[in-house]
Amino acid sequence: MFATVRCRRLILTAVALLSAIAHLGATDAPGKPRRIVSLNMCVDELVLRIAEPQNIASVTWLSRDPKNSNVAELGARIPVNHGLAEEIIPLNPDLIIAGIYTARTAVAMLKRVGIPVLEIGVPKSLDDVRAQIREIAGLIGERERGESVVADMDRRLAALPHPPSSDRPRAVVLNPNGATVGKGTLVDEIMTRAGLTNVAAELGIDSYGQIPLEAVAANAVDVLIVSASRDGPPALATEILRHPVLAALSDRTRVVVMPGRLWNCGGPAVVEAIERLMQIATEIRAEAQPK
Amino acid sequence: MMCASAVDPVRHGRVPPYSVLVAGLAILVVILMGASLAIGYAPLDLVQAFRDVLKGEKTLATLVLTELRLPRALLGCFVGLSLGISGAAMQGLLRNPLAEPGIIGVSGAAAFGAVTVFYFGLAGALSLALPLGGIAGAAAATFLLYGLSGRGAGTMTLILAGVAINSFAGALTSLALNLSPNPYAVTEIVFWLLGSLADRSLPYVWLILPLMIIGWGLLLVSGPALDGLTLGEDTAKSLGFDLGRLRLQLIAGTALAVGSAVAVTGAIAFVGLVVPHLLRPLVAHRPGRLLLVSGLGGAALTLAADITVRLLPIRPELKLGVVTAIIGAPFLFGLIYRLREEEA
Repeated sequence: MFATVRCRRLILTAVALLSAIAHLGATDAPGKPRRIVSLNMCVDELVLRIAEPQNIASVTWLSRDPKNSNVAELGARIPVNHGLAEEIIPLNPDLIIAGIYTARTAVAMLKRVGIPVLEIGVPKSLDDVRAQIREIAGLIGERERGESVVADMDRRLAALPHPPSSDRPRAVVLNPNGATVGKGTLVDEIMTRAGLTNVAAELGIDSYGQIPLEAVAANAVDVLIVSASRDGPPALATEILRHPVLAALSDRTRVVVMPGRLWNCGGPAVVEAIERLMQIATEIRAEAQPK
Repeated sequence: MMCASAVDPVRHGRVPPYSVLVAGLAILVVILMGASLAIGYAPLDLVQAFRDVLKGEKTLATLVLTELRLPRALLGCFVGLSLGISGAAMQGLLRNPLAEPGIIGVSGAAAFGAVTVFYFGLAGALSLALPLGGIAGAAAATFLLYGLSGRGAGTMTLILAGVAINSFAGALTSLALNLSPNPYAVTEIVFWLLGSLADRSLPYVWLILPLMIIGWGLLLVSGPALDGLTLGEDTAKSLGFDLGRLRLQLIAGTALAVGSAVAVTGAIAFVGLVVPHLLRPLVAHRPGRLLLVSGLGGAALTLAADITVRLLPIRPELKLGVVTAIIGAPFLFGLIYRLREEEA
């Protein structure tokens, strides 16, 4: 057992050395990773936006799905992985970026064989998003490209008006299985910035929790933000997003279908999520004005 | 055993009148349905909500009442009724007190039928396909079971046949969920194996109710023949009962009642075991009379279990089968122990 691990390590070191030698001639910036692997859907987007395509060895298969990914076209040109160590090791990566909750077995294994792994947490705020973009950009030696992504985001955010502190439509997020998003999350900040009150946060839900349909119906929400996965193939988890009570609420509640790709990950796309929600909040305020 | 007690005058003297028993259980079911409507996750003024419903007003309170609590209470009642009657009927048909849709695999097979139809979009195309899938599964399992163990077969044969059908149906259900294109499907095996009434809607109630009513009817009209059967097959035949038709009637009735119930709420185990077992002495061990009272008892038990999962401070709420198994499994152990002593 130990012998095989040591043997594998030796082989890997040898392979790494060989590839380092092979790359010697082509190096432009010292220490810049040339074989980056992403093991997480959210990291995929940042890596694909910031790194040079020729420096990306692999991203996850989810990055090619236009329903999940804002950069499906970029992802289509890069080999994909399914978060399995067996797929990653032969790629001989010099940097692996993973999420702290996903592909745990593979990450543990890849660390054991000595490949550098950066683990990225779930961003809880727009500041976290900026910090993550900068961290990844710094590590892959593309500081300037990272700064330009952040600057672009901030420019679009600055262009948005500041919503009033009162007269904020009440909204709640409803995801498959009745999951919702409460205080201390990026989604909460997006809703607040768009001028909405997050009812789940009001109900005392911290980060992620479940909200019973009864609470959704009884809390007189103005906006129900439903995950777009309700229109996918059937499952009980997504079926509650089509429960007749939600259709019956539609007299008083606006149902907004939010594509997960806009705000499930912390990336520049969150600005579009804010813009969409802000538009709806403005419309509701306008309708409520006495004519 | 059953026929001996049916004519036992001492026991007979102690049982309450049948009509009193039925009325008492029916009142219990109505009270539990009221409690089921009153208990939930959002504060609700039930009286005001009822008034608004009667006035035809559409307030948030009436929505919670009619779209969320009502389907839950109705399903609890109807599904429990199906499981109770079917348990009593299967015990009469197979003349074995351990026969129960959950234990012997009928519910598991119904779940497989429903899963196949639901996750591959057939139910989306035709909503009736969902209960029909469940019914087909339940019917296949009941026929298989009857073929494997036959009437009056030993408990061992029956339970082994049940174990085989249950594990096969469970594996196929898991396979179907794994093949589903929806990533959430895999985790939903818990629902199909343990059952739940959470977040089901009224259209489902109306979808399965007619099928269940036909099932209940088929089972209830078999009562006299089941009573006759306790005197032995030959006597029953000489009394003019057509045993072939009786078997078909019971199998079809069980398949309709259990199959459509499982298709909407998943497999809720042990209801059909516990309830007939508790009520049998109260109807002087007459299997015909046991049918209706077991149905009402099953409705009461299912409603009570569903109220319990909502009152327990465990979120996401427990599956119904967890509660019914905690109540039911000790019964099963007790029954097996007693049967062992009788067989020894």
